[in-house]
Amino acid sequence: MAQMSTVETSGGTRGPALPAWLKSGLLTIVAVLIVMGVWQVAAIAFDVPVWLVPKPSDFMARFVSDFPLLLHHAFETSKTLLMGFALGVLIAVPLAFAITSFGALERGLFPVIVFLNIMPKTVIGPILIVWFGIGPLVAVLIVFLMSFFPVLVDSMSGFRAVDPRLYYITRSMGASPAQTFFRIRLPASMDHIFAGMKIGVVKAVEGVIIAEFIASSAGLGYLIMRASGFMDMTLMFSGLIMAALVALVFNSGMSIAEVVLMPWARRSQ
Amino acid sequence: MDPQKNQGTGASIVARDITKIYGTGADAFHALGPIDLDIKPGEFVSLIGPSGCGKSTTMLLVSGLEPISQGHVEIDGKPLTKPISEIGIVFQDHLLLDFRTAIQNVMLQQEIRKLDKADMRSRADALFEQLDLVGAEDKYPWQLSGGMRQRVSIARALVHDPSMLIMDEPFGALDAISRTQIRHDLEMLWLAKRKTVLFITHSIEEAVGLSDRVLVMSKSPGCIVEEISIDLPRPRPAHLGEYPEFAVYAKKIYTIFEKLGVYNF
Repeated sequence: MAQMSTVETSGGTRGPALPAWLKSGLLTIVAVLIVMGVWQVAAIAFDVPVWLVPKPSDFMARFVSDFPLLLHHAFETSKTLLMGFALGVLIAVPLAFAITSFGALERGLFPVIVFLNIMPKTVIGPILIVWFGIGPLVAVLIVFLMSFFPVLVDSMSGFRAVDPRLYYITRSMGASPAQTFFRIRLPASMDHIFAGMKIGVVKAVEGVIIAEFIASSAGLGYLIMRASGFMDMTLMFSGLIMAALVALVFNSGMSIAEVVLMPWARRSQ
Repeated sequence: MDPQKNQGTGASIVARDITKIYGTGADAFHALGPIDLDIKPGEFVSLIGPSGCGKSTTMLLVSGLEPISQGHVEIDGKPLTKPISEIGIVFQDHLLLDFRTAIQNVMLQQEIRKLDKADMRSRADALFEQLDLVGAEDKYPWQLSGGMRQRVSIARALVHDPSMLIMDEPFGALDAISRTQIRHDLEMLWLAKRKTVLFITHSIEEAVGLSDRVLVMSKSPGCIVEEISIDLPRPRPAHLGEYPEFAVYAKKIYTIFEKLGVYNF
């Protein structure tokens, strides 16, 4: 998101100097290159074996040579992530609306939700494996559980944040419940829902790899776990880079979606 | 819902013994009344009184937005049974939707009431002109000043040409200079259309500066203790002190407040 807003503010006012986003991008690349360089030199100087800590040149070469394999598993991971996250949002937002609309539901359900929220979600993994067997479904369900709660909690505060006096005005307009929901409550809650979704996506990325460690037969987590079994260090490091790239894609996707879906929120600085 | 139907006429408001009690049993809180109101079509009436005296409650009761505990209300001679739709409402907070531009906020009336779009848009444009909002149409509320946000809120309350306007301390959050200007702009709009206005305020200057009649309320549970007709020429000036009568009216209200214990000097 930081990058998005700098793009907007850089509107060519700085003359011939580099745009801000390019500058910060270049700095990042330089920093990464320095770290990699130090790592490379140190690994050579101290003669660290590849099976213990691979040199950047080792795992970057592996990343390139095994790119199709990594891409395949990245695709599987993304699919799991997307399904689990979408399921989480599709259930959390309507549920948040129902809970905030009916007091009884809030009193009855909220303690359960709080309990489930503080419970570490991965402990459900072994139970889900018994129920559904090892496979992507279990990973989807774990991702769902990880991303569901932040979206639910933030959506609830979003639906509550609407000033109740606004409903006097909509009632005087004769607004139907559907009109009130789609024209007022939902868009007014969007920034809270997005805040929840941004946390949810981070949790989902974290969850998907763990889920694939324990309960999947495909995806980057599975690939890394299998490589670990063979002590294939360079493949594990390439998998790690791919996982970071998947996380980057999803986080940027959220930021782009936010800008597209909430044009009013572009209050840069 | 023909917006032309009430062109040039305001609604009459008659209330008898209206009372509001929140809660029941031991927790019951007697918030208001009993009070009577007789507001003529096109009249500009202010309710003035200390905080928590039930001014806002009065407004919600006569517009049907909150149920009345006792008593009854008639609008244009018809008993009030549900929220009135021929109404515009302005609160102290602008209550604009952050996700809509100024013009989209005003056009919410058209969308929800399903009125003719082109017709409403031309009415909205005219109001933007009268309220000195030209150029603000496509700005989001956070891009506008407090005074402009409140002007948009007034435009939203008037765009569908309601027969009655209720305003709950609409200028309470504004600085003194904007407040004087917006008071004048509201008066000019009212003079052009003569819709019934029920105006709630803490400010003696606003009440006297705008109203045909000022109703003074006592502390909670609020009752109307005095009714003062304001006989000053319109449009009234920025500096109300130009009229010697202003001091007389203001003095009257201060005296009532001192008597009621609102002021303790």
